[in-house]
Amino acid sequence: MRPFTYARATSIDGIHAVQSATGARILAGGTTLYDLMKLGIETPGHLVDVTSIAGLDEIRSHQDELIFGALVTMSDAAAHPAVLQRAPVLAESLSKAASPQLRNMATLAGNLLQRTRCAYFRNGPEYPCNKRMPGSGCAALDGLDRGHALFGGSRSCIAVYPGDWAVALAALDATVDVHGSRGMRTLEVANLHRLPGDTPHLETVLEPDEMILNIRVPVGRLGQASTYHKIRDRESYAFALVSAAVALELDDGMVRQARIALGGVATRPWRVPAAEAALAGQRLDRAAALEAGRVAFADARPGQHNGFKVALGTAAVADALMIAAERSPSR
Amino acid sequence: MNQTIYPDRARVDARDKVRGVTRFAADMPMQRVAHAMTVPSRIVRGRLAAVDIDAARAVDGVLAVLTWRDFKGVKSAGYLMGGGFGFQSHQPMLSDRLVHRGEPIALVVAETLEIAIEAAALVEASYEEEQFAALLGDTRAEVLAPQPGHDMGDAQAVLASATFRVDAEYLSPAQFQNPMEMIATVAEWRDGTLTIHEGTQNSGALKFGMAAALGLDPARVRVESAYLGGGFGQKNSLQGQTVLAARAAMLLGRPVKLVMPRAQLFHTASFRPASRHRIRLGADADGRIVAASYDADMQNSRPDTFRASFSEITARLYAIPNYTSTARLVRTDVQSPGYMRAPFEHPAAFAFESAVDELAYAAGRDPLAFRLANDAETDPVTGHPFSSRFLAECLRDGAERFGWSRRDPAPGSMRAADGTLIGWGVAAGAYKAAMAPAIARLRVRADGTTRISLSGHEMGQGIRTAIFAAVTDGLAIDPARVEIVIGDPDAAPQHVTAGSWGTASSVPVVRRAVQAMQARFEEFRDGRPIRGTIHEMLARWRRPYIEVESRLQAPGQPDTVFDRLQRGLPAAAGPEYEPFVSFSYIAHFVEVRVEPTTRHVRVPRIVSVVDCGRIVSPRTAESQVRGGVVWGIGAALRETAEIDPRFGGVLNNDFAEYVVPVNADIGAIEVGFIDRPDPLLNEAGVKGLGEVAMVGVAAAIGNAIFHATGRRLRELPIRIEHLF
Repeated sequence: MRPFTYARATSIDGIHAVQSATGARILAGGTTLYDLMKLGIETPGHLVDVTSIAGLDEIRSHQDELIFGALVTMSDAAAHPAVLQRAPVLAESLSKAASPQLRNMATLAGNLLQRTRCAYFRNGPEYPCNKRMPGSGCAALDGLDRGHALFGGSRSCIAVYPGDWAVALAALDATVDVHGSRGMRTLEVANLHRLPGDTPHLETVLEPDEMILNIRVPVGRLGQASTYHKIRDRESYAFALVSAAVALELDDGMVRQARIALGGVATRPWRVPAAEAALAGQRLDRAAALEAGRVAFADARPGQHNGFKVALGTAAVADALMIAAERSPSR
Repeated sequence: MNQTIYPDRARVDARDKVRGVTRFAADMPMQRVAHAMTVPSRIVRGRLAAVDIDAARAVDGVLAVLTWRDFKGVKSAGYLMGGGFGFQSHQPMLSDRLVHRGEPIALVVAETLEIAIEAAALVEASYEEEQFAALLGDTRAEVLAPQPGHDMGDAQAVLASATFRVDAEYLSPAQFQNPMEMIATVAEWRDGTLTIHEGTQNSGALKFGMAAALGLDPARVRVESAYLGGGFGQKNSLQGQTVLAARAAMLLGRPVKLVMPRAQLFHTASFRPASRHRIRLGADADGRIVAASYDADMQNSRPDTFRASFSEITARLYAIPNYTSTARLVRTDVQSPGYMRAPFEHPAAFAFESAVDELAYAAGRDPLAFRLANDAETDPVTGHPFSSRFLAECLRDGAERFGWSRRDPAPGSMRAADGTLIGWGVAAGAYKAAMAPAIARLRVRADGTTRISLSGHEMGQGIRTAIFAAVTDGLAIDPARVEIVIGDPDAAPQHVTAGSWGTASSVPVVRRAVQAMQARFEEFRDGRPIRGTIHEMLARWRRPYIEVESRLQAPGQPDTVFDRLQRGLPAAAGPEYEPFVSFSYIAHFVEVRVEPTTRHVRVPRIVSVVDCGRIVSPRTAESQVRGGVVWGIGAALRETAEIDPRFGGVLNNDFAEYVVPVNADIGAIEVGFIDRPDPLLNEAGVKGLGEVAMVGVAAAIGNAIFHATGRRLRELPIRIEHLF
């Protein structure tokens, strides 16, 4: 680990100048950043600890919206009664992620920015990786790609976005309030992450001096009938082989609207509008759910070792839809 | 015959462990300790062309950056299975030759761990790379001529005419032990004496191996290994890092601590090699297994020969009159593989017990009844009797506890109300009942204390608790003031504590020591009345202490075997003794539940019944079985080293990605013991337990998955993709 300087910020005003300095990074829970620093992937010269900034650790439950401060921990959000009741997909995406120790430390905004688990990315300079070292190539393309993307990949990179929370947020059309030296702006979570294209080292649309302050989730008729269904290699402390974030509005068994986002299989949180459209106006039964799953994976481009995720993902989407439907106040 | 029924008792060191009082090697408080960090090689095979250490040395707080040029005069301590002391013969940093990915090319020593890590990252190297083979099936791997194994009758001819036949290949991946306590060395050089603090299962090999490597008088090498945070065979011999840390301590004149990072341990310590198993079985119309043929391939390193013995148990699980086996070693460019928990028996039982299950189905027999009908009464290999064998009792008792009689044999026939597929599977396992020579010194003092020093290491399996049970059995001493000294070659010669011979070697020798103490006490007493404990009597007689020494080797071993023990060389024996054969046995009954949509497999319950002779420490014994079964679940469904043949090395080299089970993956595990003393192996009636616990678990799970789904899966780990 390289030496770095450290400062604690107590307000958002003034951190941007420091942040813009070469190699400075924001430090919150540290669960991703420290890990990547130990691996030598992140080498910041300066850390700005934002955990002492007041007012960013609250969850507010409004009529049509849940608002999460950037510094709310994963465990606090997962256990919050309003989140559990109004949008179980959010709570589940958090409680099914990482381990209790990590969830107690990691923050909701930091979670959005976690980086891929691609082993070639994480394992050092002997492995070509365009994300870690632009232009060096991609070892995963012809390599062990069991954990790699079926959607959104490029010839430069097929690394999966590993998170769960962002997938659930994308399903619910959540937004983030972002503060930078040029003021505040609002972004859709679904557009926060970039496709890798030829520049896989650029992962989000955030400017170097920007920081996420709030995460806003519209919850109304969509939310309660929702679930985050995550399939993984063990029951806890594992990234998704495939996951489906699903939210439904049902009217007497008919789908008024459906939202489906996929995790573990794409280079960024992956909404599948075609599958959502296929369900609209349909009676939700097992056959319709399976068909939606098939539509969701129709454009999948599997590699050598991840082809099973088409069938697995189809089943996971279908299961998720049936679980969500069970939770609908009006089936 | 040991008639003692040992009571349930808490682990003697549990209280210290949960309070953090127990000191593991890296916890040793020490003045002026310097911290070391290794720089791993970034190639698999070739030559280290140049190392640039200037940037590392310039970091404030760096004490030294050592390269191979600083190790002149240091030698390899040799390979454990080749007359030496190390897990492999290749000692890193003795030359510019590189033979496996991740081997250390430099050692940074600094005032703090953080500085050492920082500086290690600044060491730059250039290499001359050579082609290599990373995997068992790699075209550059060298396949050696088959070694003959067991050969009874005429297996090929009988197979050809058998009524029912199975011919299948099974695969087992490379796996890593991953003990919680990483391999850690604290080396201290003072007044011409080298002291090594390291959690090792083989402090004797460290003592003599370090002396050989560094050219020291063994009397000038002290090794302390009072506790390990798990070993599982990975800590069974001298590690390359121990030599590096010791050399640094000697050059610097300061204690040096080196704790290997987990990621590096995937490349610097031993592991379970990948293996391939072709099994052919034949049964006659009456459902008797008449012939078996077993041909295995097993991964090896280039320099060392780690022999395969998969057939040692499979030739004996059943009364198969015609049996043949071979094993081919396949040389690849890796560190030398070694003895990871049930090293041969786990993959062998997966292959063989899966094949037996397939044969039972082919013959239209219930898998349990089929196994019972083919039980062996005498050893098919030697024709000698088994010292004790209660495998059939394990199977019957397990079946009763599990409710096997309610099983519908048809695959895919059992379902839960929600459509979940239910499968019930059974498999048997065995492991040699080995013993190592051991020496015990027992001293009972007038001041109320007792000290027993003997051969053995505490890896967490509970050997101290078993020793405590034996030393307090029938001796009038204060049980609260018993000191157990193990893992210290200067207190008593140390055997490598492995191969499940720990309890079977220590408890009988302690019983002998207790008997000797009783005899000596009677001599001193000379007919005087006994009032109180031995301590009180000694005080009354104004004798400070009585000390006795006892020694015991495996049946049939000559007394010269104690010379090997005293020189830190492997000295265990088994399973073939003249004129009997000894094994421990186990039967596992497994329920799996398979989600019909996602094919997700869960293991809600397992019943395991063990015949390991007399149980000395019921609580730690049961705990060992649970641990072995958990490992079996992990090995069956999760654990594998991900290796890209283009690069070598293990990609999933941390606990996030090397997937072992978490608590939520583990359901009910019911453990039963036959608890009948073995009449021949030793007077305590103890056979081994640690390894056998895992043997057969993976096969039972695979068999249960077949029963649930109709899918026969022959490659470990069985993962979700295999069920689509």
